[in-house]
Amino acid sequence: MSLRVEGLEKHFGTVAAVRGVDLDVPSGTFFTLLGPSGCGKTTILRSIAGIYTPDRGRILLDGIEVTTRPIHARNMALVFQNHALFPHMTAFDNVAFGLRMRRVPRAELRTRVDEALTLVRLDGLGTRVPAELSGGQQQRVALARALVVRPSLLLLDEPLSNLDARLRDELRVELRALQHRLGVTTILVTHDIEEAFVLSDRVAVLRAGRIEQIGAPRDLYRTPTTRFVANFVGPANEISLTSIESADGTVCGTTDTGLRLRLPQDAAALAGRPAWLIVRPEHLSVAPGPLSNRLDAVVDDLVYAGAATICRLRIGGTALSMQIPGEATTLTLGARVSVGWQAADSVVLHDP
Amino acid sequence: MTRSPRLRGIGFVAPLLVVMALAYVWPLWQAMLNSLHANTPHGIDTASWTLANFARLSDPLYTEVLLRTLRISAIVSLITAALVYPVALHLTRMAPRWQPWVILAFVSPFLVSTVVKSFGWSLLLRGNGLINAALLALHLTDAPLHLMLNETGIIIALVPGHFMFVLLPLWTAIAGIDPALGWAAGTLGARRRQVFRHVILPLSWPALITGLVINFIMNMTAFAAPAILGGARTLVVSVLAYQVNLEQLDWPFGSAIAVALLLFTLTLVGLGQKLAVWRR
Repeated sequence: MSLRVEGLEKHFGTVAAVRGVDLDVPSGTFFTLLGPSGCGKTTILRSIAGIYTPDRGRILLDGIEVTTRPIHARNMALVFQNHALFPHMTAFDNVAFGLRMRRVPRAELRTRVDEALTLVRLDGLGTRVPAELSGGQQQRVALARALVVRPSLLLLDEPLSNLDARLRDELRVELRALQHRLGVTTILVTHDIEEAFVLSDRVAVLRAGRIEQIGAPRDLYRTPTTRFVANFVGPANEISLTSIESADGTVCGTTDTGLRLRLPQDAAALAGRPAWLIVRPEHLSVAPGPLSNRLDAVVDDLVYAGAATICRLRIGGTALSMQIPGEATTLTLGARVSVGWQAADSVVLHDP
Repeated sequence: MTRSPRLRGIGFVAPLLVVMALAYVWPLWQAMLNSLHANTPHGIDTASWTLANFARLSDPLYTEVLLRTLRISAIVSLITAALVYPVALHLTRMAPRWQPWVILAFVSPFLVSTVVKSFGWSLLLRGNGLINAALLALHLTDAPLHLMLNETGIIIALVPGHFMFVLLPLWTAIAGIDPALGWAAGTLGARRRQVFRHVILPLSWPALITGLVINFIMNMTAFAAPAILGGARTLVVSVLAYQVNLEQLDWPFGSAIAVALLLFTLTLVGLGQKLAVWRR
């Protein structure tokens, strides 16, 4: 089902947790609310689920308003970070809970629970209680318990963050495959950028109760619209520009240290205003070849990180971070290099 | 001088052990021995052993007292469970900073002596007491209700007297239940009543039973309230034991009553332990 959230606001005492949020999630989409802790993402999810009643705003499912509909009548399913399995019930009874509330006949109930347990690869473990299952198995039971009721929305509240890294990667792949197969509209809440990017069709980046930017993961990474998003979704070099001039089809900017840099074409719209130039470390290069911008730099630091090397460069008073694949065999500490990037790989933002 | 850790451990518990041995185990042992001797006009016949004191307990006169004690205790425990559950649930939903104050308000009756409280109840409950006067004045009743000198009076006094032993463990248990469990049940379609029935009740069940067992024992052994509000016709075991021991001075039979009450209560505690395991 499709979901619409309009002008959602929620306060706790004097603290504003959500300050006017609009979302539009088409049916079958995997949508993620991404942000640091305290940004209001969990409050939004719980308002959608019916745990909290919003102070202002509307929530619509397939165009029908459900803002004040009680939690048990929304036909949604919520998976929690700590699994929230019923500790006094077996895995089977946990999964069967939603069906029993819906008074599904016994024979159908058994088939559907078994199917759900098979779906999450837990067949044969139905008789165990949560305490007898590993963390990953518990989270699979929680997922089966949510999916078995064929929910209108699948709501995931940091479902993987309590698991160790390898298990998390494994479950991430499974979750993605499951969602594609079942086509259930899914809302994920997470602070983990990689998780959001791997799983989502669309991501909303939140900050202090407001949406900073909504887009596909690629859009957020390649064309962030705010400095917060640029820095939140990945490492970014920020260079302050005091002015932007456009002449003869080329756009140039001046840094506060007096350097002139070529900018992407759409930066022309910001001509005459102070702005920030954003370049990702992997777009910097010291290899010879034609690049729109070339600067003399000194190698300040080299950090070997396995698949890549992170190199800190100094250009006058400005520090830049460069990421080059593999080992940096040609670079040494203190060496003078010529670093450059393509103007098209950079983004210019007017953001105070 | 070095001592083994075990010896030092005994050193820590020894003072209390001595007190318990002298003030509790020794008198209890004496009572058990007394219950097995006959009472004669010349004193306790310690030379011969007999079960006659226990046989006397099967007299309908005494079984009636035991059954009444059980009935009153069970009714008080059931009323307590029904009254305390909503309070415990409500407490856990309150802001955490208010909870200790409300608990303190609930504990406050325990700062008053049970004798004083029982006389207080008798002022309210007697035929020309406050409650009957109010009922008559409002024409809700034609004649004064018999609210004391019967089982009703004892029950009215014991419910507020002993509910704390259920409220405290229940409050702790419910407060310890992850709120996400209730939310999970809710999103899966459970109404509030069903969340209680399938999640809150099973998870707080052991605490409820533990509290009720303590509450039940307190009801079984209560003395002041039944003595003051029950009157002569509504005898319970503790009052009977008092009369036999201190008015009739029949220590062997009085001991038999006390030992029987102890064994009976221990059996019920054992049953309670079994009940504490939740079975659907």
